Amino acid sequence: MSIVETVLVFVGIPGAIIAVIASGVYGKAMLHQPNRYRPGRPWPYTAAWFVPHPDAVLQPGPDPARPQLERGSTSVTTATGGASGEW
Amino acid sequence: MSGDARVDPNHVQYGPIGHDLGAHGFTARQLTRLDEALTLSSRESGLMFSVYVGELKPPTRAHAEALFERLTDDAVLLAVAPGQRAVHIVTGPGSAKRLPNRACALAALAMRAAFTNGDLTGGLVTGLRMLSDSAGRI
Repeated sequence: MSIVETVLVFVGIPGAIIAVIASGVYGKAMLHQPNRYRPGRPWPYTAAWFVPHPDAVLQPGPDPARPQLERGSTSVTTATGGASGEW
Repeated sequence: MSGDARVDPNHVQYGPIGHDLGAHGFTARQLTRLDEALTLSSRESGLMFSVYVGELKPPTRAHAEALFERLTDDAVLLAVAPGQRAVHIVTGPGSAKRLPNRACALAALAMRAAFTNGDLTGGLVTGLRMLSDSAGRI
């Protein structure tokens, strides 16, 4: 065997096997890691406000609530209850 | 009620699924779960649930209530500040009739348990389901 073949067989093949096993073990975690929340770590992402699809919510009256969700809305709804918590 | 808390509209994004995946800190699968839970709980209960995930300026409760002022009477806001480890559930005049504070506190407790384990999406989905179940069907 030439030097190139020796290196390929004794370094390349074991390296490939190690890479396959490592990607199987850590690959999924590495893909999901940036988005995983860790308690105590800062949350550097943009604030997001999620609302349900307007068609899914039954709204009384002819005027659906959708326009009230637009930015710069002038209507004010006072909060009356709820709960709070910290972890 | 809003106090000194001011909501900067530039830092708020609307929509069940954001345009820029990853900017919210959620994966596409997590966003799908969240969207599904939001839609189902809102459809079943008739209340409009909404979820805010992001920074809440102190006092966090006042900021959450300031956010709620843009919603309707029948809305329920779940505001979570992962950085400050705070969760607030805010109900309005309409939704408070169906969701007493005790039910909200129970949902907040379950959400806190999930958040402590680092499961942000799971906590939100659990909270939405519990609140929807407490409110009952229309």
